[in-house]
Amino acid sequence: MELFLERLITGLTNGSIYALLALALVVVFRGTGTLNFAQGELALFTTFFAWWLTTESIPVWIAIIASLIAGFVLGALIERLLIRPVQRRNDMAVLIVALGLFTGLNSLAGLIWGSETKIMPSPFPNGIDDFVSVGGARLYFDALGVVGALVALMIVLTLLFRYTRVGLHMRAVADNAESATLAGVRTSRILAIGWGLSGAIGALAGVLVTPLSPQQLGLTSMFHVFIAASAAALFGGLDSLTGAVVGGITIGVLEAMLTGYVSFIGGSLQQTSALFIIVAILFLRPNGLFGTKRLVRV
Amino acid sequence: MTTIDDTAAPSTAKPGARPGGKPKGPRFLVVQGTLPYRGLQLGAVLLVALLLLWASGLPAFRMGQITNVFIIAIAIAGLNLVTGYTGLLSIGHSAFFGLGAYTTGILIVKYEFAPLSTIPVAIGLCFVLGLLVGLPSLRIHGLYLALVTLAVAVSFPEIVRRAEELTGGAAGMVVRSRFLAPPEWTGLVRAERGIWMFWFSAAVLAVVMLLCRNLVRSRFGIAMRATRDNEIAAAANGISVARTKIVAFGISGAITGLAGSLFTMYMGALSPDGSFTLLKSIEFITGLVLGGVATQIGPLVGAFAVVFLPYLTASYTEGPLAGVVFGIVLIVIVFLMPEGIVGRVGILARKVVHIVPADHPRLGRADREGPPEPARAEQ
Amino acid sequence: MSLLSIRDLHAGYGSADVLHGISMDVDAGQVVVVLGANGAGKTTTMRAIAGLIGRRGTVELDGKPLGKRPEQVVGAGISLVPQGRGTLGQLTVMDNLRVGAALRDDKDGVASDIERWTEVFPVLGRRSHQIAGSLSGGEQQMLAVARALMSRPRLLLCDEPSLGLAPIVVQELFDTLSQINKADGTALLIVEQNAELAMDLADTVYLLDVGTIAATGTPAEFRSDDAVRSAYLGY
Repeated sequence: MELFLERLITGLTNGSIYALLALALVVVFRGTGTLNFAQGELALFTTFFAWWLTTESIPVWIAIIASLIAGFVLGALIERLLIRPVQRRNDMAVLIVALGLFTGLNSLAGLIWGSETKIMPSPFPNGIDDFVSVGGARLYFDALGVVGALVALMIVLTLLFRYTRVGLHMRAVADNAESATLAGVRTSRILAIGWGLSGAIGALAGVLVTPLSPQQLGLTSMFHVFIAASAAALFGGLDSLTGAVVGGITIGVLEAMLTGYVSFIGGSLQQTSALFIIVAILFLRPNGLFGTKRLVRV
Repeated sequence: MTTIDDTAAPSTAKPGARPGGKPKGPRFLVVQGTLPYRGLQLGAVLLVALLLLWASGLPAFRMGQITNVFIIAIAIAGLNLVTGYTGLLSIGHSAFFGLGAYTTGILIVKYEFAPLSTIPVAIGLCFVLGLLVGLPSLRIHGLYLALVTLAVAVSFPEIVRRAEELTGGAAGMVVRSRFLAPPEWTGLVRAERGIWMFWFSAAVLAVVMLLCRNLVRSRFGIAMRATRDNEIAAAANGISVARTKIVAFGISGAITGLAGSLFTMYMGALSPDGSFTLLKSIEFITGLVLGGVATQIGPLVGAFAVVFLPYLTASYTEGPLAGVVFGIVLIVIVFLMPEGIVGRVGILARKVVHIVPADHPRLGRADREGPPEPARAEQ
Repeated sequence: MSLLSIRDLHAGYGSADVLHGISMDVDAGQVVVVLGANGAGKTTTMRAIAGLIGRRGTVELDGKPLGKRPEQVVGAGISLVPQGRGTLGQLTVMDNLRVGAALRDDKDGVASDIERWTEVFPVLGRRSHQIAGSLSGGEQQMLAVARALMSRPRLLLCDEPSLGLAPIVVQELFDTLSQINKADGTALLIVEQNAELAMDLADTVYLLDVGTIAATGTPAEFRSDDAVRSAYLGY
């Protein structure tokens, strides 16, 4: 029972991180209809940046805020400078630019900060004794912090989309960009804000994942998170915030249970199992479980 | 009531032929099937043969690099069929490359096959994997399909590591050089494996390029391009879009798998994290975009670029810079030269020499009946 | 001086021009109707004015050059009801109206405008929290007009408002447009295939033919000119 609870907690924690990055993917997809393959590496880059700030004896909370801002700026710049000019041409061009960013950002992080693994301090208390016991299982504060961050972000996003003008305009652009433009919405600014927002969300996922993962911060840290997050986002049909969160948590918990109880899968087939979930979902529900069906006209 | 006179209105009628000035057409017009065309073809073949002969005299290390280029070119040619001509972005071709490579490796090491006899098995398995990867395209489109291929690319190294008994797991597998000696009929000895692989890869590449050329021009090739350009219109015209995609994936996977098989014979050592990760897929895509998507010699040109670019940059610093350069090159190409090197050179060359089929509408009647003029300035 | 003045307008898609230098005037408070066959360039004219596609030539509002970006056009006081209505289908009716006020900062004014248009179009009031995509075609057209009016335009452009609507709904819509025109002095520039109905409303009619203005005049002049009538009005 204790073991089960601890696995459940691990699953929820990992799942929260997947959900965070999945939210970043969904925000971009809703705005521009693009899957940002570089989302994970963008988060990696901002997280290395945060790590570097902490080595310059800047407090970890300030470093995290700085990395969120950096994520926003980078995301918005990428949209404005790299994505928008090729957007009209075709999907393939956008995907290839994203792939270029994927390798480029990862290698750039390695080039600037070195490829050896780094130890990123946790923003939450993470000593051996920093836990509460629930039913005999240890509930560590830093894991709680991650789940808390996800809940906080969900609230912020809901408020943003439902009650602010920027949020209304983002929904309008996602729905029908031309109509929004005709109503006077500054579509290009809204798109850049969308990418910026997702860059910031990704940065949050990055700084939260690293203190948790056993091998700490390395150049490959975000890749598995990205794979799981895209499975999560897909689970929700790529355009549903709720779907992304449900998907992220489901995949996190499934993964923890499968690794724990099905010995064949063990540690090394984690990614593969997440991916099989993707393929199975796509095959059964091409628009995901929460997605809206899109009509295509010739 | 004002009725505006029609004849007065259009001040904007497009100016007709430019008075004076240079003619805009190409300097030379070559008609397919005529003597000058055959001459050009013969010249190109001779040039290629000379280049190959020259390359085979290079030091072993250089020749090895060029062999590597040929193998990568075959892999990219496979990718070109599905991504270039059918319009399905595959991030999973590293898995086909890997499956081909491991099939050959395992058959040689565990079952003592002769290297060449492993090739049909590798092609067959990769064809089947291609069909399987293409299968979701029955229901899944665009981006989502790219994600499925991503799944395949990421799973492959994990599965190889897992199937330790067969593949040697994370430690990799070594194919001893005595297994990889050139076949006896070539008259080459074991130490001459380099030169054997050079000529063999070149020959396979030539066959693959010819095959792709014919495939693209065939009925099936038209179906592929129609699917790419407008899926719904293609379906409305009686093309089975799903079957086209699945079969294209199969053939594409088979060709890239063939390249993997050659890769094992060339390298003699395999490891899951070496050449079969997502990065290899990105290398293929970079090569394809750089060389020229949906062109016939784009894969070869692109392969030259992706093999030599890292060497060039690595001479300044090691490691990560190559990745940065790959990333930047990909983005720059999409921006500045979306038609790739071959596409761009083609556009430039067409200003000088234009090759047209014999029934091209630009040719006047007189041209078709009388002896064709090799040079013709026309507007 | 006219409210909107267009001189030698060229516009099109890619390298091909659809409009070959058209000129047109809309006076303040006037209703102008543009007639023409399919492909004459009616929609292109509307899209060029609204800033959705590039244009060459002079377009002036109140004698001042009109900006080329859509938000500048809306900000200057011109609002387009696009062909096919352009409903934001996933948003509620209320949110659709709020998006229409994208450039306005007077919260109270926006609130009272929403109240006003939901009274003019009662169906929008009844369904204000419903998803716009669930409305019928006629209701969506009302919503599109109301959304465009939310920016308080001085000139409302309507591209084929009757398209796909039942005759009785079309009649109702045109009556409402006419009332708005009379009550607020909002000028209307309407593109229509339903020539008869549109001409009842019009002060001035332009006839577009293959990207040029073929004729202009009052509805009465159009009806009395046999050549134009048989060629373009079909009776």
